[in-house]
Amino acid sequence: MTHYSEDDLTLYYYGEGRRRAAIERHLDACGACRALYREIAGTLAMIAAPEAPGRGDQYGLEVWQRIRHRLPERDPRPWRDAWASLFAADRLGLAAAAALLVVAAFVAGRVWPRVPANTPAAPRTAAAGEAGRAPADVRRRILLTSVADHLDRSERVLADIMNAPDRGDISTEQQWAGDLLTTSRLYRQDAVDAGEATVASVLDDLERSLLEIVHSPSNVSAADLDEIRRRIDATTLLFKVRVLGEELRQRENAPAPAAPRQTGKTG
Amino acid sequence: MDATEAAAVLARARQGDSDAFRALVERHSRSVFRLAFRMTGNEQDAEDVVQESFLRAYRQLGRFESRANFGTWLYRIVANCSVDLMRAKQARHDQVRGDSLDDAMELPAADAPGPERMAQSAEIQQRVQAALSALSPLERAAFTLRHYEGRSIDEISAALGLGTSAAKHSVFRAVKKLRAALAPLRSLQS
Repeated sequence: MTHYSEDDLTLYYYGEGRRRAAIERHLDACGACRALYREIAGTLAMIAAPEAPGRGDQYGLEVWQRIRHRLPERDPRPWRDAWASLFAADRLGLAAAAALLVVAAFVAGRVWPRVPANTPAAPRTAAAGEAGRAPADVRRRILLTSVADHLDRSERVLADIMNAPDRGDISTEQQWAGDLLTTSRLYRQDAVDAGEATVASVLDDLERSLLEIVHSPSNVSAADLDEIRRRIDATTLLFKVRVLGEELRQRENAPAPAAPRQTGKTG
Repeated sequence: MDATEAAAVLARARQGDSDAFRALVERHSRSVFRLAFRMTGNEQDAEDVVQESFLRAYRQLGRFESRANFGTWLYRIVANCSVDLMRAKQARHDQVRGDSLDDAMELPAADAPGPERMAQSAEIQQRVQAALSALSPLERAAFTLRHYEGRSIDEISAALGLGTSAAKHSVFRAVKKLRAALAPLRSLQS
């Protein structure tokens, strides 16, 4: 007599499998399989669905309040089209211009004449805004904004890699990763120069994963993809990218450092 | 909200109307939380999954086909977000996970409570939770979808982006591990 495997009996328990009628007849006739089935069914019957903690009628609204400020810009077109347009020549030109702006801001900061410490600070008004801030502060803000945007884009490519089918074509993700890689190197160097050690460290981790994605075969195997994912997981990269992105956005929106706090009206 | 109204809200959300997306969030949050809690077994993790799932859904709305069921599409996103979160946690706590696997296997023998006490369902569930925590993220996700959510192997395969065979074997591995971990409970019960 041919016996059924544990896997067959598990499928039978869940009402699946093609040989249900045959298994049913067999269980009536075979004591060994019947005992095994009882054991499987008994174990699975012990596993009751855990009761989720209650959530009130307002829960949906609470969730909305938590996420509404984090909703990204969304392109309603199909994703491949969106990616294609993201990397269209004019977009790359804009990215290059933005990177150039960051570099220029750093250079300007280095050669900008410094105001001697004992010189009375010029009166600042709210209208003076960015223009009234110290060049280093402006420079830092430009860097933070650019890196936060860069992290948003990187988060998307990493998330898509984490959720990609277990094998297949990842050439689009690679193209995106390749573009991000170049920008990432620039920003990392800028972050080092600006003394932003945490930003530089996350960008360094990010670079390694982007590099690995870029250098994987386009038709990636399940094992290769698993290795990439394992490395992303091991460095908790997605989490770091997300947290740092949010932190930079907060710093970006925070008021300027208190330094010379003078207004137009001093009383 | 009837079917026609739901379809109209969805169409507006796909066009980038954030008020319409808000209506979807309000409508689906509780079911998303329930699934996320079952997948992760942890309230705080479930909250993280809820938020991440809606953010991901918003980003991917352009890919959603209007003929499909939004709830089904969303539950796939929740399942994948849960797996991502569990993988990230596992990577951070690999050592701890190894310990908890041993703990799950040895729990009944370690303090050997009597049959009467073991019969208490709260205690059984506690041990079940320990055994579930020792599964890999994919095994846990596949098992949750099959056992708690009543999804077929084909549906699990589609939700987790796995081949049918991989989905099936994830469930089988989970059941094997759970049987091994819970065997002492079975013998005490019988």
